[in-house]
Amino acid sequence: MGTSLLDVSNLTVAVGEGASAPRVLTDISFTLEPRGILGVIGGSGAGKSVLAKAIINWLESPLRVVSGKVIFEGRDILTMSDRETRLLRGKAIGYVGGNPSGALDPTMTVGSQIVEKLQAVEPGTSYRKAQERVVALLDAVRIPSSDQRFNEYPFQYSGGMMQRAMIVDALVSNPRLIVADSITQPLDVTVGAQILKLLRELRDEFDTSILFVSNSLPTVADVSDRIIVLDCGIAVEQQPTADLIASPRSAKTRQLIDELPTLWAHDDRSRLKPASENARPIMSVRDVSRNYALASRGLLNFGPKRILQAVRHVDFDIYEGENFGIVGESGCGKSTLTRLLTALEPPDTGQITFEGKDIFGRGKEGTRAFRRRMQLVLQDPYNSLPPRNSIGTIIGEPLVIHGIASRNERRSRVLEVMAEVGLPASLYEELPMVLTAGQRQRVNVARALILEPRLMLMDETLSALGQTEQGQLLDLLEKLQAQHGVTYLYISHDIAMVRRVCARVAVMYLGEVVELAENKTLFFNPGHPYSRALLSAAPTLETRRYRSEDCLLDGEPPSPIDLPSGCAFASRCPQAFDRCLIENPRLQSRGGLNRAACHLLDSENTVPKEVSA
Amino acid sequence: MFIVNFLIRRLAQGVVIIFLVSFLIFTLLRVIPGDPVRLMAGGMAPDHVIDQIAEDMGLRDPIPVQFVRYMGGVLQGDLGQSFIRPASGAAVGGASFDDNTRSERAEVFDLIADTAPFTLQLALLAMAFALIVALPVGIYGGLRPGKWPDRLALYMGSLFISLPNFWLGIVLALVLSVNLGWLPAIGYQGFAYTILPAIVLAVEIAPFLIRSLTVSVAQNMRENYISVAAIRGIGHRRIVMAHALKNASVPLLNLLGVQFSMLLGGVLVVEFIFDYPGLGLLTINAVLQRDFPLIQGIAIVTSAAFVVINIIVDLAATTIDPRLEY
Ligand SMILES: Nc1ncnc2c1ncn2[C@@H]1O[C@H](COP(=O)(O)OP(=O)(O)OP(=O)(O)O)[C@@H](O)[C@H]1O
Ligand code: SF4
Ligand SMILES: [Mg+2]
Repeated sequence: MGTSLLDVSNLTVAVGEGASAPRVLTDISFTLEPRGILGVIGGSGAGKSVLAKAIINWLESPLRVVSGKVIFEGRDILTMSDRETRLLRGKAIGYVGGNPSGALDPTMTVGSQIVEKLQAVEPGTSYRKAQERVVALLDAVRIPSSDQRFNEYPFQYSGGMMQRAMIVDALVSNPRLIVADSITQPLDVTVGAQILKLLRELRDEFDTSILFVSNSLPTVADVSDRIIVLDCGIAVEQQPTADLIASPRSAKTRQLIDELPTLWAHDDRSRLKPASENARPIMSVRDVSRNYALASRGLLNFGPKRILQAVRHVDFDIYEGENFGIVGESGCGKSTLTRLLTALEPPDTGQITFEGKDIFGRGKEGTRAFRRRMQLVLQDPYNSLPPRNSIGTIIGEPLVIHGIASRNERRSRVLEVMAEVGLPASLYEELPMVLTAGQRQRVNVARALILEPRLMLMDETLSALGQTEQGQLLDLLEKLQAQHGVTYLYISHDIAMVRRVCARVAVMYLGEVVELAENKTLFFNPGHPYSRALLSAAPTLETRRYRSEDCLLDGEPPSPIDLPSGCAFASRCPQAFDRCLIENPRLQSRGGLNRAACHLLDSENTVPKEVSA
Repeated sequence: MFIVNFLIRRLAQGVVIIFLVSFLIFTLLRVIPGDPVRLMAGGMAPDHVIDQIAEDMGLRDPIPVQFVRYMGGVLQGDLGQSFIRPASGAAVGGASFDDNTRSERAEVFDLIADTAPFTLQLALLAMAFALIVALPVGIYGGLRPGKWPDRLALYMGSLFISLPNFWLGIVLALVLSVNLGWLPAIGYQGFAYTILPAIVLAVEIAPFLIRSLTVSVAQNMRENYISVAAIRGIGHRRIVMAHALKNASVPLLNLLGVQFSMLLGGVLVVEFIFDYPGLGLLTINAVLQRDFPLIQGIAIVTSAAFVVINIIVDLAATTIDPRLEY
């Protein structure tokens, strides 16, 4: 073995005792060289996390190693005593998991906990020494004002910053190996892209090997030298990254590659229709804002109220029969906007009209009628259905709520809609339990469809589905659109999905629409630097038109409380200049229906170069 | 800065609470049937004397007027004088209506100041006993959910909670005091007299502490940061002592605050059984004698204690878990 740092051979892990216990990992073998980054990729339940845990000897019952060895620097980890493993884990191998927000004690400062760890694995380190090292590392992972952040609590960190802190925690003992399991999964793409960049740099700077686990092939391909593909606990393929992508040997790998969305190349799965020429707007959003007042921290609750500006001056039209998309990352105001558009909350200022009438201007009855003609299809296929009602009852419920149709009519109407969305009539009496994820989503669609709405708002409806199911659902929605002329409004964080479906797209950042563009314009000639940053960070294997190194500065979106004056994107914008800090750019036309809000548009020629292919 | 804001805000709220409590008690006392003057002056006193005394004491004025006058005194630290009790010695019998010089009556403030320390001592000792039992039992139970320490905690709590305090008080007094002669039971002539009633009270509150601890320790041990701490290389002992227990202490602290307030306010039964000269006994006698000023005074003092305890608990809780500040 000579030079290898980690040598896993014939590792088999089962759930429970006995020879017939189901295998979670079967006969896995690989080696990891010093300074190497090995990617582990596979679908959900493929055994990636179990593998990551086995490497730090952290399998808890009923998981059990059946056979095999995990040799780390010449010693078998699986046969070590508890005490030895504990020291090994903290010191020689660092582990970073996919849930940074719950990873540290909420009642102690982040800094003191990393110090605590260092002192636990390197007894005798003085607090001062440890603190210096932690602050230096916080700097290295580019946490701003690190000596102040050292003394902050986990809840004061954002998700991305917390993940950086956990990387510091893993790095602090100078480990030879870092096991990173799904570390970018909970993060926004632009933040995740920065973490990946960071990992590559850290490998160069600290000579650490990395085992990088993820369910996203582009993410793994981005950082790894070699990739192992797991499928149902079996390593179906192992190749250097470039070879694996260029010439995959296994069907699983090919499937993973084929499933990936493309942003620029032609995609057979595209459901894009040209934006309709002379359509009338079905919904108009005019200069809509929504603020939330937070409790003041001042004396006796007097003093200045803190205002959270969730939605700011949003203004767009949705045309009849089109697919309109709203994209943005967490906290950009998508959910608030959804509540406004569905009349669950009134805006503070501005107006929303639907089919020419103000959705709040017609009293309770008017709002009710509006709610019938505009339906929300919910996000989560697992929690949005009441578990104890039959599927027929669930789909028919909106009819009851709106007091339409007698009992008999209801049944026939429900069966009709079920047929329309492709649910077999035999499911009428069943409970949601028996449904697959795709079928659950169909139930949600049927439930909305039964009221014959004109506009359907899809809130992350597709993001929890696999590619095949997503494609089928899109087919269905397309069919319904052709038959009933429904308009769809997709709200999503997934820019690749939007690319395939939405003729026009609004990009949101910190409560504002920063760009409103036709599909092709957004992807090939975006007008706003944030749109470019989103494109640069999107998970794809394609040659990127934009590189995140050029499009995004380190850092995270500012808080929507106490927004800075000037352009909200200025803190992360590589092209920001003096004026951006003073004056907030207004949406301006770029020709046709395309608009963007950036001062650079005043002199269009400064748009940054594309990466030459 | 936060502390100052916090204190000012909470104290202001506290003043409002105390004011409302006083007003409520004050009004209730005056609308329930029973004339305290009759009791003071004695059943034999002629009606015109009663009226005269009541008039002199301002008891015939409208309630809001009386209340304002009373609160005026309270603000200057004057809780008024007892209707019944003389400045020294036990309560005056009602028979001698000739003792009409009000200056001889005891100051409510003094009466409370004399008894409160006994109750405080009793409450602290009861708390200490309860914690001595509840801490190990509860923590150990929480660390081994489903195993025998967990069951021990459960059985112990159930047993304690099913013992009526008056019964336990009498049995303990009979066994430990009368039969074995280990501890004195009735009255108060020294610290030893606090022990028996404190044990009875401890048995009463321990089940709540045990339960709270078991639940919150078990819950915290299931938190993600606990399992992550193990892979970060932190020892089990430290994980439990420095993290799980610290987090579990916040709910316990809140519970302790509530329990302690209750102990200060009303250990009526236990003080009565043991004839323990604390606020509880004073309250019982004041109620029986319709000693309005004394009842009011006790209410004000206990609600003030309640407010202060709450502030201390919240302050301690935010020190432990800074998320509570927000
Ligand atoms: N503690 C456990 N007890 C029993 N079965 C388990 C346990 N942990 C994992 N498994 C099983 O092992 C298999 C692999 O799980 P694992 O968590 O490694 O998947 P994964 O590849 O990490 O998936 P994901 O992408 O969803 O994180 C699954 O079938 C899972 O149900
Ligand atoms: S206005 Fe300035 S800071 Fe804002 S996106 Fe344009 S260039 Fe960047
Ligand atoms: Mg996993």
